[in-house]
Amino acid sequence: MIACNCVVQANQISTETEASLRVQLSEFAERRFHAPAAINWIAIPEGSGFTAGKPSTSSVVSMQAPEPLSRTEREPLLRELCEIWARETNSSLNEVVGVISDPPTQ
Amino acid sequence: MPLYMCNAARGVIQDAAKAKIAADITRIHCAVTGAPEQFVHAFFAEESPAQPLNDKSAVLFGSIRAGRTDADKAEIKSKMRASIHSHTGIALDKIDVLTADVPASWVLEGGEIMPEPGEEAAWLARHSSGERK
Repeated sequence: MIACNCVVQANQISTETEASLRVQLSEFAERRFHAPAAINWIAIPEGSGFTAGKPSTSSVVSMQAPEPLSRTEREPLLRELCEIWARETNSSLNEVVGVISDPPTQ
Repeated sequence: MPLYMCNAARGVIQDAAKAKIAADITRIHCAVTGAPEQFVHAFFAEESPAQPLNDKSAVLFGSIRAGRTDADKAEIKSKMRASIHSHTGIALDKIDVLTADVPASWVLEGGEIMPEPGEEAAWLARHSSGERK
């Protein structure tokens, strides 16, 4: 399984959009990492998210790759991941933080 | 990035305090690191299972760009802990502040890969005026 954490501002993403995102993120994980995503959805309560000290509309989507990636491998994956998020949520890339991490070193 | 996630026991951080702590987090991080404030995220949760409190009343976990010095990280942790204490009254020994280094190349924000340490100049020039893709 590919660990996937989604941190969103509560009430900014509808139930339908969340469901669609879960499908799209799972398909991304299957397509790029050949394993299903284990999605952990964290909704930050209203009035509890800030960017630059002001109320935030930002979301964070992070995945852990199954093996270490080079920069040239990682960048297009990050772009694809963030574009999926922006498209599905009808938000701009300014509101999306994407992270693709390497697995922990043993 | 940075992303500061604060988990707290239910009710110990009021909404008004969250705004003040978030402002402090932003100010402290930018003052210590020189990062532009538009990328500083401060999110608050209560009793989140993703971030165990153990014996603390509040735990602030900062995912910050790798390359900061130990002295910078110590200053960030000390000042943010003091901010949470001053705005909530939580005893200092019940507040934990932790940071984790995240390589800049692992993060895409505002449509761009974050710059590696030492490669900030062009990126800061673009972003200090608020320009983001």
